[in-house]
Amino acid sequence: MKTILKTVDLKMTYQLGKVSVNALRGINLEVKEGEFVAIMGPSGCGKSTLLHILGAMLKPSSGQVLIDGEDISKMNEAARTEVRRRKIGFVFQKFNLFPTLTTEGNIKLAENIRRNGASKTSAKRDEILKLLNLEKRLHHKPIEMSGGEQQRVAIARALVSSPAIILADEPTGNLDSENSQIVLNMLQKLNQQLGQTIIMITHNSEAAAVAQQTVYMKDGQIVQ
Amino acid sequence: MMDNSLVATNVRQRPLRTLISVVGVALGVVLIVLVVGLSRGMLKEQGRRNSNVGAEIIFRRPGAVSFTSNFGLSLPIQYAQRLSTIEGIENVSPVGQYLKPSDQGFGAELIDGIEYESYAKVSNIRIVKGKSFSTGNEVIVDPTYVKNRKVKLGDSIELFGKKFTITGIYEPEIGSRIKMNLSLMQSILNAQDRATFVLVKCKTNFTEQNVAAEINQQLPGNQLLFVRDLQELYEKGSSALNTFLSVIIVISIVISTLVIMLAMYTTITERTREIGILKSLGAPKRFIIVTIEKEALLISLLGIVFGYVVALAGRFLITYYTPLFIDIETKWMLVAGLCGIVSGFFGALYPALRAANQDPIKAISYE
Ligand SMILES: Nc1ncnc2c1ncn2[C@@H]1O[C@H](COP(=O)(O)OP(=O)(O)OP(=O)(O)O)[C@@H](O)[C@H]1O
Ligand SMILES: [Mg+2]
Repeated sequence: MKTILKTVDLKMTYQLGKVSVNALRGINLEVKEGEFVAIMGPSGCGKSTLLHILGAMLKPSSGQVLIDGEDISKMNEAARTEVRRRKIGFVFQKFNLFPTLTTEGNIKLAENIRRNGASKTSAKRDEILKLLNLEKRLHHKPIEMSGGEQQRVAIARALVSSPAIILADEPTGNLDSENSQIVLNMLQKLNQQLGQTIIMITHNSEAAAVAQQTVYMKDGQIVQ
Repeated sequence: MMDNSLVATNVRQRPLRTLISVVGVALGVVLIVLVVGLSRGMLKEQGRRNSNVGAEIIFRRPGAVSFTSNFGLSLPIQYAQRLSTIEGIENVSPVGQYLKPSDQGFGAELIDGIEYESYAKVSNIRIVKGKSFSTGNEVIVDPTYVKNRKVKLGDSIELFGKKFTITGIYEPEIGSRIKMNLSLMQSILNAQDRATFVLVKCKTNFTEQNVAAEINQQLPGNQLLFVRDLQELYEKGSSALNTFLSVIIVISIVISTLVIMLAMYTTITERTREIGILKSLGAPKRFIIVTIEKEALLISLLGIVFGYVVALAGRFLITYYTPLFIDIETKWMLVAGLCGIVSGFFGALYPALRAANQDPIKAISYE
């Protein structure tokens, strides 16, 4: 299968005044198209930093990040923005929906940002909404929905532009176990039915169990 | 990549903030429309009244900066007799003008001192009610004065610290609204045999140009104004007035810009996280700038419309309850609107650029 994401000796050093924090110390990771990878590890080991770099939100100090064969590690801000728009779908722990917009509004806004000239039919959107069981929540605003529902909207929003990779940073971290299970099942379904590549950070080994592969990190390195 | 959903919902989300910014922009619009309208309206009205005179030429001493600022009695009245001997002149009438601080607290009021007999010959003045003033403390006024001040024949008004009785109402509206005996004005102002200007009426078979040329030859160095140019002169206004109006425009732009800037700055700080979300979705800087600019322009637009409504209502109230004239011209409405748009655009520019240049990770993790 095709390699969709690859990092080569990826390093990230944060500069905090005179102190430098080595958040990533040489990450070599390869993810194939259609894989569901979980990342686990203790707090502060660099999981979010890695995810931000993979999602083109952050420029690494050194090393390479290849997405779909394209090296994004040396790109400037504008080019990275473009990569995010075309290739990446983020799902955050805190849902991060626009509070003033309904489910439909949140999804349409993402569609509008991500549409590259050609206007897509709403068929894809309908399929996603059905899969995530959100058809009856189209006209609800975030505060009118449960955490589980909000997270499903966030997943739908990440999916509408058919990103190469979904990057999820503790997507169940703010959910009770019941809603966590629902969201995890949905992610699994997306992976299995649509072949969606997913990389998910989690603290929970039960959550990691829905992935096909789990990567363990410690002190900015992959340990296994 | 056009998306207006955030623009509309954000404006509605914070009604108080929106209202305050709308009022801020409206204030600027009202300021321009009313101040410009008032100053131009008053001048235009003055010009209109002056051009109602039947005479064709106004003769006055040199040295006045503009027509509107030559008050006071400085012209020796002998000039009137001298002028009447010039060929082509049918009649002349000396007029004294006195600028009295208004007792209504705004602006000032002009009083004409005239010789009724000669004045009637150079103008179309006639008494429509009562009779003309005598040599005592008496005045005649025009119908607008009667209406605005709610006075009637026989009432007293105070001029030069004395009581004057209204003995008559004249028409049409010419020059100042209050007219009194010229020699009485001269003695009160201690300016015997002096006037402010002389009205000159030409004979029908002489053109005003020819008469003016003749006057210039015989009495060189004086100022001659053609009555038919007066309206235009007044409408152009003085350079001091135009400077004043420019200052008003600048002040209004500054007010509106600051209000918008403050509102949008608060907004982007409050919505830092949302800006982070936009960035995570891959929205380019342009998208963020355009979204914030659109919101500011929508607020400006609401402010402009609100400002127009307030200005029009204001004009109605002011002209109804005071003797002031406000002339609202389309041109100045457009200028005021443009100022609102400019303020909206520039007020939002710094907040928009700041938002667009935020670090995506910091923005999205903003609490
Ligand atoms: N912007 C930053 N500036 C300086 N140091 C940072 C910054 N972001 C993260 N770090 C540091 O880098 C290290 C890795 O942080 P990161 O957030 O990637 O960890 P994490 O594995 O996601 O932790 P958690 O499980 O708690 O979310 C930590 O030591 C953290 O303090
Ligand atoms: Mg983290």
